[in-house]
Amino acid sequence: MKRKAVSRISLGLSLALLSTALSGCTFGFASDPDDPNEAVKEETIDTSVDTFQYDSSLEGTQITLLNTKAEIQVALEKVGAVFEERSGVHVEVMPVTDGDSPYTKMVSLYNSGNPPTLSILDTTDVIALAQEKAADLSEEAWIAEAEGYLTEVNGKVYSLPLCIEGRGIIYNKTVIEETLGEPFDPASISTLEEFEALLKRLAAAGMERPLSLAKEDWSLGAHQLQYIYETYDGTSEGAREVIEQIKAGELDLAGYDRLNEFLNAFDILKQYNVSAKDPLGADYDEMAIDLADGKTALWFNGNWAWPNLAEAGAETEDEYGFLPYFLNNDPTDFANQMIQGSPSKQVMLDGQMATEKQQAAAKEFLNWLVYSEIGQQMLARTCNIIPPFQNNPYEPADPLSRDIYEKVHQGMAFNASAIVPNDHWAILGAAMQKYLAGRSDRQELTESIQAYWDEQ
Amino acid sequence: MKSKSNGKDFCIFALPGLFCFLAVLIVPFLYGVYLTLTDWNGVSQEKNFTGLKNFAAVMRDGQFWSSLLLTFKYVIFVVVIVNVLAFGIAWLLTRGMKGQNFFRAGFFTPNLIGGIVLGYIWQFVFSRVFVSIGEATGWSMFEASWLSDPGKAFAALVLVSVWQLSGYMILIYVAGFMGLSEDVMEAASIDGAAGLVKLKNIIMPLMMSSITICLFLTLSRAFMVYDVNLSLTGGAPYGTTEMAAMHVYEKAFTSRQFGVGQAEALILFVITACISGLQVYLTKRKEVEA
Repeated sequence: MKRKAVSRISLGLSLALLSTALSGCTFGFASDPDDPNEAVKEETIDTSVDTFQYDSSLEGTQITLLNTKAEIQVALEKVGAVFEERSGVHVEVMPVTDGDSPYTKMVSLYNSGNPPTLSILDTTDVIALAQEKAADLSEEAWIAEAEGYLTEVNGKVYSLPLCIEGRGIIYNKTVIEETLGEPFDPASISTLEEFEALLKRLAAAGMERPLSLAKEDWSLGAHQLQYIYETYDGTSEGAREVIEQIKAGELDLAGYDRLNEFLNAFDILKQYNVSAKDPLGADYDEMAIDLADGKTALWFNGNWAWPNLAEAGAETEDEYGFLPYFLNNDPTDFANQMIQGSPSKQVMLDGQMATEKQQAAAKEFLNWLVYSEIGQQMLARTCNIIPPFQNNPYEPADPLSRDIYEKVHQGMAFNASAIVPNDHWAILGAAMQKYLAGRSDRQELTESIQAYWDEQ
Repeated sequence: MKSKSNGKDFCIFALPGLFCFLAVLIVPFLYGVYLTLTDWNGVSQEKNFTGLKNFAAVMRDGQFWSSLLLTFKYVIFVVVIVNVLAFGIAWLLTRGMKGQNFFRAGFFTPNLIGGIVLGYIWQFVFSRVFVSIGEATGWSMFEASWLSDPGKAFAALVLVSVWQLSGYMILIYVAGFMGLSEDVMEAASIDGAAGLVKLKNIIMPLMMSSITICLFLTLSRAFMVYDVNLSLTGGAPYGTTEMAAMHVYEKAFTSRQFGVGQAEALILFVITACISGLQVYLTKRKEVEA
């Protein structure tokens, strides 16, 4: 009997683990392990005013929306339901389940002749698919509202930027103040030296290792390492340029300032990493708990980490925010002043299989998100994302998104996202893991980066 | 007359099965072979014939060959440990010990849990439970997560696979042991065979059919391992535990080199088919009738 009980417990445990496992997104870039079914405190939506002009001829049209941002699945279903109520267009929101990357899902859907009308994709996927599959959206009115956040493929726009996401070093202000016993002003830190001094003071005050560093390859390979391209001059254009130079072998990586600066900064993060003893054994969920509970004060991540923090007990009133990823000791360097914030998810419209009516309905849905009072609120509040549209007056509710929102509006964020091949995060993420674990040195890492680009 | 009804029987009984077999196995397989000769990216409508370029790319893909080498290492460990363990436990469980049916069910249970789930459970055990034990006891073996060290992560993979596969093999071996004729065993004992001699000269030859099937199952499963690999280590730390099947998937879908991935899959298939075929041929020859 005992054995049966044990096996029953283990089965229960396995089911519980399965559900947590399935909800994590292994492949997504910017939106990582979050629970799609999680009950985030929801803002109420004011639906009394709706001046949006619905096209009644589209009533009854069915469109599908492939969602690759797991944490807004439930919210998107709500958005779809409200839109259907108003317009009569049915929006079916399809999730990408764990084990499928967005691109893999798109590949199988296209090959089965059943692609989604709209799909939320990473920018690289849009670039890969746009010319052959997507409908041209260059003539849409919202283009003007998303100035600076559009992705062009051969001079045409094929996708609507859905949200701005930013990353940097998240701080828990309350914890820092309690540990140091004095007020903390994030703006007072503007160089790597000052940042290291903060870490030292925290360590001296009893918080021996005040920082969490994720071991995941997407964090190391995409979010950290990509600083070396994105801080070239703080623009996507500059990132493209530096990548071209590396590819062509015109830029000597070993002598490239940004790489050296990045590694200097990374070494400091490594040193104060809470799991410095076993950096590859670090657990992502535990990092959120540590930061919320005050075991650590800092965490390198982005605003998509909020659902994890909320789950770990953080409240929207708590004071969390971002520090830049300090690269050097020049306080005038933009990299030490600004955090990175750029559009991360794009909505692409299928132009190949969707009927004209479906395309029109899909365009109406996109316009509704940008222009209708309800759509604007639902993007910012129900989905809790930072809309890149200038006409959207609603602020996101959680402190991380709010901080990025404010920095974007104050010009304290640089909009650069490097377009790298799809396996960059996986392959160079592994090289970064090796470096993080102390099993390779700078030279080996640099060579791996160069070797990767030589292959392309 | 006779041949006519034969044709009808064939149509009724074999054709549906044959059709399914062709449609879901042979046709996709041949199509896959064709894809290795193109530069298809997975979605494009255009497929350009590129000859053997993809195979040349496979030759240059050092990561693939090292993952294949690792797979071989893994296969050897898993096949040997699983079969020795399963054979031994099955032998114990057919000697009429108390509660043996209960134990048979118990050993089989891990096999009922899917590989993905199993991987996540054990990931938790290796990276949290073991580390907690290490912290509490100070044992250096459990100080850091097993999954963050290349050697230990590989050991973890083998351990979990053995845990999962053994139950199934135990079941087959148990059936084999139960099928051993009492008369033969008794006759052997009377003739003076006992212990290892009896095992080697009487039991092993009679168990050969079970051994054939168990070796085949473990070999093919171990070569194609993906689920446990994905959920337990995901190739971590830094890609050192990435097995061949996983590398193929990564190549095709993450690196988006469909043709190269497909070519690697084909090579993996040929290797697995050859080795399994050879094994079945060799062990079948040793099978005897009581």
